[in-house]
Amino acid sequence: MHSALNGALQRGEIRRGDVFAVAPAPTFATGFSRLDAELPGGGWPRGALTELLTEHEGIGELGLLLPALAALTHAGQTVVLIAPPHCAHAPAWAAAGIRLDGLRLVLPRRSRDALWAGVEALRCGGVAATLLWLDALFRSQLPANSLRRLHVAAGEGGGGAFCFRSSRFAVEASPAPLRLQLESAGQQVRVNILKRRGPPARQSLLLDVARPTTLSPGFSHAVAGAVLPDATDLRQRNRVAA
Amino acid sequence: MEISGSLRLFGGLPALLRLVREDLAAMNIVAHWAVAVTPLAALWLARTGGSETICRDLPATRAALAAVPLTALELTPPLARRLEGFGLRRIGDLLALPRASLGARLGKPFVIDLARAMGEIADPQTYFVFPEQFEQGLELPAPVEVAPVLLFAARRLIAALAGWLAARNAAVREIDWLIDHGHGASTSVPLAFSAPVHSVSRIERVLKERLDTLALSVPALALRLSAREVEPREEHSLTLFDGAGQRHEVLAELMDRLVARLGPQAVQGLACHADHRPELASRAGPDKPCIKPTVTASPPRPLWLVNPPEALREAHGRPQRGGPLTLLVGPERIESGWWDGGDARRDYFIAVDSAGRWLWLFRDPRLPGGWFLHGMFA
Repeated sequence: MHSALNGALQRGEIRRGDVFAVAPAPTFATGFSRLDAELPGGGWPRGALTELLTEHEGIGELGLLLPALAALTHAGQTVVLIAPPHCAHAPAWAAAGIRLDGLRLVLPRRSRDALWAGVEALRCGGVAATLLWLDALFRSQLPANSLRRLHVAAGEGGGGAFCFRSSRFAVEASPAPLRLQLESAGQQVRVNILKRRGPPARQSLLLDVARPTTLSPGFSHAVAGAVLPDATDLRQRNRVAA
Repeated sequence: MEISGSLRLFGGLPALLRLVREDLAAMNIVAHWAVAVTPLAALWLARTGGSETICRDLPATRAALAAVPLTALELTPPLARRLEGFGLRRIGDLLALPRASLGARLGKPFVIDLARAMGEIADPQTYFVFPEQFEQGLELPAPVEVAPVLLFAARRLIAALAGWLAARNAAVREIDWLIDHGHGASTSVPLAFSAPVHSVSRIERVLKERLDTLALSVPALALRLSAREVEPREEHSLTLFDGAGQRHEVLAELMDRLVARLGPQAVQGLACHADHRPELASRAGPDKPCIKPTVTASPPRPLWLVNPPEALREAHGRPQRGGPLTLLVGPERIESGWWDGGDARRDYFIAVDSAGRWLWLFRDPRLPGGWFLHGMFA
């Protein structure tokens, strides 16, 4: 190839359709090497909004972020949760390797406060990752420009921005440069990369997120045949346990 | 105020006066002032008001003093009446009279004051002692009905506070705003900072968030600012490439602003607590008690706790939640709290529902029993 053309192609603002941008945005590792390989820059983007879409909550969507969050908090960085859907259970977060002193929970009561808090946390520059659950407060009526505001704020602050949303918004346009759709797949989580900077992803990934059954098998004894023992059996067990 | 010692520092009298004028204008303060060789002369000249009098040497001071009306001396009423009886209007009229007889007629202190103003005898001054407490008020020019408008008036008080802090090389952790509504009614708006602050802009930004959420039921007439917790400022030498200190600072400011706008309960830290009951093993709170996580080897716990536990239907001997749930692991018996009234005896199971949600359920083995959803593994 002509050297001048080659030089031009090395410039960050020019992207060829078949490869990732040559000067990828700053990222931090996800902790899943197969996911890193599929993401531009090799990890979760900094300074840009990432959407994590799930049909239901509780399928392992946080498990996908936990390794990265653990690494951030152990590096002395701060992670902020905006309007988490339930009470965070400290022992579980600690067991997942997160340093609790690097975790801040923001519990706004009104939707616009949640959006405001999200924008402020993202753009202040002192927060390494901000996790947002806005749809519950907005009753799934998130104003059209909200995601753009969050994305712009993330660009100013330079931290990771993760917005947890329902899969029904997968069809809607979004300013987020990275959109992942997550599904439960037994012990694993299936990740569909709906949108990324670079060539479209061809196939979904199956990732081994931390599941309670794999965490500390020594403690757990499986329920026989995954069927509930009948009442007499339970009573017997209780007697043994007591 | 003695300024001759500072002239060199500020680059001469005109430069110093320009700074003073600019600061006064910035704070919207109308001031009368004068420069003279003796303190009393400067005070009297300033009281005459009008144009700014600047006397750089003794002859000029004396000449200027001669024109000062006696009312500027703020004498006691009997003395003032007596001088008026003499037909004296200005200091110059006084100076024309023999000084000894003035002392006999008007009292020694007055003559001594006059001599001090004229620079004939020394006028030792007591040093200005900076106030130990900061408390300053401000009357608003017009009643204010919307809280954010108070920010403009508050700026002057914040600037005064910052000056006071700078003089003491201190920082505040807590300040208290008192909004006076008249008739003895007032609203107290305390502002607490996560770390001691001293910069005007930082205090102003936090106050702005607080005022934005404040609803004034009665118009405000006056504003008062007092510093509550003052501590010596910790100076960090600024290193050029150290991002951590700066990140810490912006984070502290973010937290202060979040608390100011959302309330202290809305911003929480998380800590573990040694209790077997899951709902008590996690402490979230603004004070963030720092108990080191001791959970190293414990059964899996869910990231989210559903609080209060959600009662589940049971059908065909299995708990239901949008379909039958598949129990994977369990039971784990948790029995605790009989000593503090929060008696709990539960058998916990890890379950998966048809949509692939990983749930944490418990069953109360006592009557009436029943299944409850207590957490989500997410």
